Parts: sequence; structure tokens; C-alpha cells
Amino acid sequence: MSSNAMASGGPVPSVGRDRRSVRRLPLKQLLGLAGIAGFLATWELIPRLGIIDERYLPPATEVIVALVRDFGLTAFWISVGETMTAWFLGLVIAIALAVLLGFVIGSSDFLRKATNSTVEFLRPIPSVALIPLAVLLFGVKIESSLMLITYAAFWQVLIQVLYGVADVDMVANNTAKTYGLGRMARIRYVVFPTALPYLMTGVRLAATVALVLAITAELVIGSPGLGREIALAQSGGAISGMYALVLATGLIGVLINGLMRFIEKKTLSWHSSVRSEVIV
Amino acid sequence: MKRRTVIAALAAASVLGLSACGSGSPSSTGNGTAPADGAGSGQLTKVSVGVIPIVDCAPIYLGSKQGFFKDEGLELDIQTATGGAAIVPGVVSGSFDFAFSNLISVMVAKDKGLDLKFVANGVSTTGEKGNDVGGVVVPAGSSIQSAKDLAGKTVSVNNLSNIGDTTIKSVVEKDGGDPGSVKFVEVAFPDAPAALANKQVDAAWILEPFLSKAVAEGGTIVSSNFVEMSPELDIAGYFTKAETIKSKAELTAKFTRAMNKSLEYAQEHPQEVRDIVGTYTKIDEATRAKMILPRYRVEFNKDAFKTLGDAAAKYGTLAKAPNAGDLLP
Repeated sequence: MSSNAMASGGPVPSVGRDRRSVRRLPLKQLLGLAGIAGFLATWELIPRLGIIDERYLPPATEVIVALVRDFGLTAFWISVGETMTAWFLGLVIAIALAVLLGFVIGSSDFLRKATNSTVEFLRPIPSVALIPLAVLLFGVKIESSLMLITYAAFWQVLIQVLYGVADVDMVANNTAKTYGLGRMARIRYVVFPTALPYLMTGVRLAATVALVLAITAELVIGSPGLGREIALAQSGGAISGMYALVLATGLIGVLINGLMRFIEKKTLSWHSSVRSEVIV
Repeated sequence: MKRRTVIAALAAASVLGLSACGSGSPSSTGNGTAPADGAGSGQLTKVSVGVIPIVDCAPIYLGSKQGFFKDEGLELDIQTATGGAAIVPGVVSGSFDFAFSNLISVMVAKDKGLDLKFVANGVSTTGEKGNDVGGVVVPAGSSIQSAKDLAGKTVSVNNLSNIGDTTIKSVVEKDGGDPGSVKFVEVAFPDAPAALANKQVDAAWILEPFLSKAVAEGGTIVSSNFVEMSPELDIAGYFTKAETIKSKAELTAKFTRAMNKSLEYAQEHPQEVRDIVGTYTKIDEATRAKMILPRYRVEFNKDAFKTLGDAAAKYGTLAKAPNAGDLLP
């Protein structure tokens, strides 16, 4: 799975190195696998050599066995489903809000100036600081997770959209105006294409942040999902089970990142950052 | 190809998730034939209860399985919060109709002006020294022999200014030590044995199921702080807003009756307690078979409550000693 994600999501090959990097691809994958193997071997050795007590950090093999066992359990997939539902809904809400507000604020100098200080004030507030508020408002339900996810992911996207809208080429915009394009048409044909690469970057960042917040909310508040299972495993003394779940969240992160890069590549297939290898 | 596998995996996961949701609802606790009778025949009143997934909460799960709540016309919606942090706010905000918490947490909330009140007992100490659900453990070869030796030492508790440090300070003083000189640090129960082994703390306050484990690994219990505080000490219970008790008197009465029945049942069926704990925690079977179970009983012990409340006020956990009549049912 991880090699999949790497293959589809590796860095966009820059112009000159294109041919070489194609030939090197298998090597790159091998290196990636070697990295993982090295990590697992180190992990295996640390408890085996007694550097850290085996009771508190079980060897990698034991954790992987526990993870494979988890794959066969319905309860595990329910938790995965709950986490993914919270992640997806939170992300969609955040993107929808951020895109709407981003384009509205970004296209008006007045609004941009009026909101700038507020945005800069709210943006650095860590989402986890809102946990007490989320609990008061929604209890230990999925809504608590959604609130935290949405808050954290929203800023990632909004800031990117604002930068994107600010990056619109004035000549292109004025040309469009001269040709009689209305405000909506200009947004559709000039502003949106300029902002889209920024937006996609924001979405990719937000997707990862949303996952982190989904797990955190479940872990701390106890809203349903993988994070709660991790907390349960910890409080039940199921140490290897706990590490197995932590591994599972890592795998989900890799999957999400791969998926996002794939979507980015598809949506921006026309853009020079993705197309560069063809142009030159 | 690769894309397809990813999409297929995602689709499979979501289908599994969805189908499983259908069968995983709280109604699965009943066994088909709803023994609905008496007052609220047919229509069940939904009641949400916030609990912590620990051994202490076994009676409510057992009672739900036995149909005690259904018999009262209640449909239980048990919601698990991973820690105490979400419990009191959950009740205050109305997310939970009732919730489970230790006595000091509710005393503290009341002390800060939240009008809360217990409606049923939860767990009590076994009353047996050295054979209780909680205790202060020291590693093999420690110079600490009894509670008074904890003076000047570092002791871990799961939460500061709560039932752990309050009871420990009290037993240290009882034993002739200086309670003010004990240094308390916060370490979660599962991590406490490791902290003890790494010498990060001199002693650790641990609850079951980790207490049995710590002892099996060579630790010694120097104080059964609950018992030594009072052999009749109640540790935790089910509470709600005082306002709920007034506005939903009938619901509260039904919940209390069902909960009390559950407590009695749990006390009489220790094996069923060990079994059901496995359904909502990840405590393995071997540990469940060995762990010490608390005492489940209906009545709160008012004298022990007063002892605990007075100690909490004395050591600064509370601004003033609580009145048992205001907090207990």
C-alpha cells in the first residue's frame, strides 16, 4: 500500500531530470522499502536488546501480528469507518466554508482588510484548545470531532484561497473585463483557475490536519473512532494492541496523502506544475 | 490498477462500517423478546449515561444486559468518555442525563458552584487492607515501609487534586507522617508501573487491573489508601444535575431503581462482572480473572463520605467541606 502511494504521489519530476527519474523509479521504491525495513528492524531490536522494557514497547513483530489480527475484526473496521466519517465530513465542511469565504473575502479589498486581523487572531488558536468547548456543546459525540476538525482544516484552506485569489494576474483580469466578462464569469474563468493550485495545496494540507484532529478528539474526548480504541487499549493494558492501532492510523495517513496527491494531479492536469514535463 | 485497489479498499471499508453500524446499536443488548411491562409499556424513554470504560462501571452494562433498565421503561444509551474530563461538562451541558464519576470530582464541581447530586452509588472499597481495588505501590527493595514513609517522596496519581492525593495525604497523616511534604505527580494508571520501574517516582498510586499486575511484577503495596481512610469508603457513583432530579423526578426514580438493581446483581455475580468487562474494555481474560473486584452496594456510607469531604477541604482540594445531605440521594 505504501509503495502504491509513493508511486502515485512522489514529487513532481522537474523538467531536466525527467528521464532519469523514470529509470530510477524501481530504485526509489526499493530505497523506500529499505527505509521502512530499517525502521522496523530498529524497533524490533530496541525492546529485544532490553534498551526499553518489552512490557512498555513490544517488538515490531508482535505489534504487526496484533495489527493483522485487528484486520479480521468487525469492531476494528467500525472504528476505522467512524474515524473516516468524521475526517471526511469535517474536511468537506471546512473546504466548503473556506472556499466560499475565501473567494468572497479575497475578491474584495475592503473585506480583506476588514478581516485580516481577525483571521490572524483566530488562526493560531490550536484546535485542541477548543476541546472543552466542544465537550460542552456536543458531549462525546461525532459532532465534537467535527467541530475540532473543521476549525483546524478551515484555516489551512482559507489562507491558501486568499493567497490564490491575490495572485490573479491583473492583466488577465483587465483583459477579461475589457472583453465584457461579468463578475461571476471572471471568477469562473480567471480567478478560479489561478486559485485552484493554491486551493489544492490547502486541501492536501487540510486532509492531513483533519486526520490528526480526528484522532486527537477521539483520544481525548472519547468520541467514537480509532482514537478512542487507542485510549481503550491503553487503559486496558493492551499495549501491543495499542501500538497496532497507532500503526493503523499511520497507514490511514499514508493512504489519505496518496489519495490527495492523486486528486491534485487529476484536477491540476492542465497546470504547469503537473504538466511541466510535457511542455519543455 | 493501483488506483482501483485503493478505491476498492476504501469502498469495502465504508460498506463494512455502514453495515456494522446497523447491528452495533445499543438495542443489541436485549435478546429480542422485550420484557416490557408496567408503567411505560411499549414506549421506552431514552436515557443517556456517560461512563468511563473501567471495571467500576460493570454494573450498568450488566443491568442493561439483564433488562433492568428496560423493565423500568428506559432505553439506555451508554456513552463512554475516555477520561473524566468529558463527564461533568457532559452532564452540565445535557449531553448525558446521568454520568459516572468519583466522589471528589463531583464535590469539586459542586464546590465550584455547579449544582450536582448523586442518584446512585457506583463502587466502594472492598474494605480489606492489601486486597483493595487501589493502593500505593513501591518497587522491591524500597525503603518505604508504610504510609508515613511517603513523606518527602514523589508519588504518582492519575489526577492531581482528586481522590488519589486526598486519600493518600490523609493516610500519611494518620500514620504519623507529614502530608504536606509528599510530592505528587500526574501519571496515568497504565503508565505508572513503568514510571515506578524507571525510578521516575518513589511510589505509585495504582488501581485495578494494573494494581494486581504491579504486585505480580514484584511491587509491594505499602498502603491501601481507600480502606485506611475508611473501610466503608464509597469511591464513585452516578450523578446528575439537581435540576434534572426536580424536573424529571420520575425518570430519575426509574434510573435509580434500575441502577440499584444492577449494583446488587453485580455484587452477587462476580464472574459475570469479569466477563462483561471484557466486552467494553480491552483487558485480557487472564488479567480479568485475577483482578480484585470492588464492592458494589446500593447505600452510600454517609460517615465515610464526610471523612472524605473533610479531608478534601483540609488539604485544599475543596474550598469548604461539602454537606452530605446536598450531594447524596
